[in-house]
Amino acid sequence: MSGVASPFRQAGAERVDPLLVALWITLIIVAMIWIAPFVFIIFTSLKSNATVMGTGAFSPPTSIAWENFTNAWRRGDFGTTVVNSTIITVIKVPLGLMISAMAAYSLSRIQIRGHKVVFLAIVFGTMIPFQVMLAPIFKQVNSFGLINTYVGIILPYLAFGVPYQVFILHGFFKDVPKELSEAALIDGASHFTVFRRIFLPVSLPVLAALLILDFVATWNEFAMALVILQDPDRWTLPLGLMSFQSQFARDYGQLNAAIVMTVLPAAIVYLIFQRYFVSGLTSGAVKE
Amino acid sequence: MAVNISAADRHARMPTRSGQLRRKLQDPTLQGLILLAPAVLTYAVFAFYPMIDVIQLSFMKWNGLNADKHWVGLDNYRYVLADDPVFWVAFKNTLIWTFLSVVFPPLIGFGLALGLNQNIPGRSPLRALFYMPVIIAPIAVATMWRWMFDPFFGLFNSLLSAAGWPNLIQDWLGDRNVALYSVFIGYVWEVAGFSMVLFLAGLQGVSPTLIEAARIDGAGRFQLFRYVTLPALRPTITIVLILSLINSLKAFDIVYGMTGGGPAQSTQMLAMWAYTQAMQLGDFGRGSAISVVLLLITVAIVIPYLRWTLKRHEAYQ
Repeated sequence: MSGVASPFRQAGAERVDPLLVALWITLIIVAMIWIAPFVFIIFTSLKSNATVMGTGAFSPPTSIAWENFTNAWRRGDFGTTVVNSTIITVIKVPLGLMISAMAAYSLSRIQIRGHKVVFLAIVFGTMIPFQVMLAPIFKQVNSFGLINTYVGIILPYLAFGVPYQVFILHGFFKDVPKELSEAALIDGASHFTVFRRIFLPVSLPVLAALLILDFVATWNEFAMALVILQDPDRWTLPLGLMSFQSQFARDYGQLNAAIVMTVLPAAIVYLIFQRYFVSGLTSGAVKE
Repeated sequence: MAVNISAADRHARMPTRSGQLRRKLQDPTLQGLILLAPAVLTYAVFAFYPMIDVIQLSFMKWNGLNADKHWVGLDNYRYVLADDPVFWVAFKNTLIWTFLSVVFPPLIGFGLALGLNQNIPGRSPLRALFYMPVIIAPIAVATMWRWMFDPFFGLFNSLLSAAGWPNLIQDWLGDRNVALYSVFIGYVWEVAGFSMVLFLAGLQGVSPTLIEAARIDGAGRFQLFRYVTLPALRPTITIVLILSLINSLKAFDIVYGMTGGGPAQSTQMLAMWAYTQAMQLGDFGRGSAISVVLLLITVAIVIPYLRWTLKRHEAYQ
């Protein structure tokens, strides 16, 4: 990131590189295309329906229609869906990370007989698109009588978080120097102690990255919730937005206000914790 | 870093409770099993078992709710493959969708990563912007784009009429010849940033000394790219292509939210058709048979990749 002081130069070069300038202009144009949908949605969310139909797509709102937000909040029953999403996410994300970290530690450091088979079965899960198996998942949750309950959605969410998180944490734990844990084990510490006192603190950056990724993934999940949470009182935010869209598609301002309210929490989390996203995404996939 | 085993922990190991339980808990294997159990149990019951169960269900006639469930052998497959008019449409759409997903988002992501790996102003905010759509709920992306494709007041048709090209105005999601590609445009916007981030990470792994050496040897820009950067990126390229392919099979939310498979099944895909058969038409057997076909395709692609990954994992230890 040192290059910002003398931009448009290749490493070590003194002159400005015209190709880099051309590249930069291209990137700016693409960026404008990328940002256009956001601008369009925000502008529309602040216009009354009459203004939406009367003015151009990119003309800024002249008088701001805040009532779109209050109306959409009420009609879309956002109060209920936000509470449901929050309860599910706040329970699922830390719990899932905890059980994944425990399993990853066990698989990488204790090596019980058959640990390779277990690891393979789990890694296999990272590659299976679970959206294709909604029916058997519904059947499984239903057989425990957990349809329309928080537990009924949290358990499959936990199950689908395990593969990716175990895979990444396993890779990370394998690289922790052996000396660090062996001294403690020889002193008579249990694996529980070594895990809690050594491995958890050492892996805080990875855990933070996974925590944020998982927060966003859980907050945004739609397909599984659609199948398991059929009672509107249990709906999460994405289900609420879907229902709002099919009911009030012609109330343009309110529809866009609903989109903004749905997108905002994840967007804020992303903007605050941006740099963890990249490390979290890539530490598993493109690891040296 | 300092390792402090606190007095509290030492105290916990004192023989306060039943000595037998304490001795058992000192067995490392038992400790390992206790640590492993919660994750493996949830995974086995709610992810792995459904994978097995879907195969079993595909040989059954069952509506998913009542007790009347019986074995029908290959009937579901016969129906799905021979008589179901939608299956092959969905199959073809899935193929088109997967092909497009493996080509366009990675190419755009690669271009963006190459550009944003250079010494240019504002590259951090630009990276953040291109990645932003990835973290938005796919159902919100679908709702956004559905509104932008609105034939009367949406973004695209407004822009086209403002630009003086009214003959290009379309019913983007209502015309069965263009709907699939309209949905795909929204999908590209959603996922290109994901490929970009992976490529950026890969580019950071290209050895600077190697580039310097090649430049001293007189390599031009193109030669540098062709003979240094591209070979070094080979593992990243493989990973991005595989992940794009797998993610394209997961493209459920965006289709559900934008068109629901219509008009006239022109955006129907296998994952959503499996859902529709089982959960909406109440035929778990047929839905499961479609899922099994899709799983078989996935596994055929995934197994070679997993072997390659594991080999790499072992090579780096």
